[in-house]
Amino acid sequence: MNVTVEVAQGRVPVTVLAVHGDLDASTYQALIATARAQVAAGASHVLLDLSDVPYISSAGLVALHSAAVLVQGKQPPDPEAGWTAFRTMGRDIEQGRQVGVKLLSPQPSVMRVLDTSGMAQFFEIHTDRAAAIASF
Amino acid sequence: MLDSAHAGEATLLISADVNFLVVIRRFVQAAAVNFGLTATAIDDLVQAVDELSANIILHGYAGAPGQIEVRCRAEGGGVTVRLRDQAPPFDPTTRADPNLGVPLEQRPVGGLGIYLSRKMVDELRYRRLPSGENELTLVKRAATAA
Repeated sequence: MNVTVEVAQGRVPVTVLAVHGDLDASTYQALIATARAQVAAGASHVLLDLSDVPYISSAGLVALHSAAVLVQGKQPPDPEAGWTAFRTMGRDIEQGRQVGVKLLSPQPSVMRVLDTSGMAQFFEIHTDRAAAIASF
Repeated sequence: MLDSAHAGEATLLISADVNFLVVIRRFVQAAAVNFGLTATAIDDLVQAVDELSANIILHGYAGAPGQIEVRCRAEGGGVTVRLRDQAPPFDPTTRADPNLGVPLEQRPVGGLGIYLSRKMVDELRYRRLPSGENELTLVKRAATAA
């Protein structure tokens, strides 16, 4: 799995993180680290391009949630204590959709996992890159 | 597709390491294709095995070295996957189904991965073997729409 970073200009600068590969228990922490670095570099509007992600597990969902928490300027739970992330996720999902991190073009199998887990309620999900960037 | 399904079984014995989860996924996917499951059913089965294997690695063995045995078998019009490990006893089937309306902080440990697994297969059974191993049995039937 690797993440490519690009800044696109919409109404505001949008950091596009294009994820390539599976988001599973072996790769999710690298996505969190990338999100953390981008936030430290000033990113406040992030588009996660999932078009090249064939698979996402519950660990990957933790990474998506952690990215959203980081962009909100807060600290996500320590991934080493991974299961505690699920506690925070529940509270955050209850608050409804956040707009700091949005998702682009999840594949159908990934979309099913987002729906089944409830994570789809937490993110705006776009299928057109230009529209996604303009939506921030 | 069931006309071209092959009977039989295949077994993978693999190190309990998150870096090898992708090997487990590819193995189950290849076996399920060979045994004639439809694409959505294959995705579901692969996901369930991946989630449960990750739990074995991270919570069962807790990062200590160990192995997982993954056996895929065509039977009863579907595919049965059996996972065996030598980690301390851990039964994911006793975890209550999380209510998605309940905050996740009130859910049991590893709840989301186990919840996804149980939702994606038709049967999930656990038993502790006299040999001191955990055994999980997952059944995915060909005719079931996820």
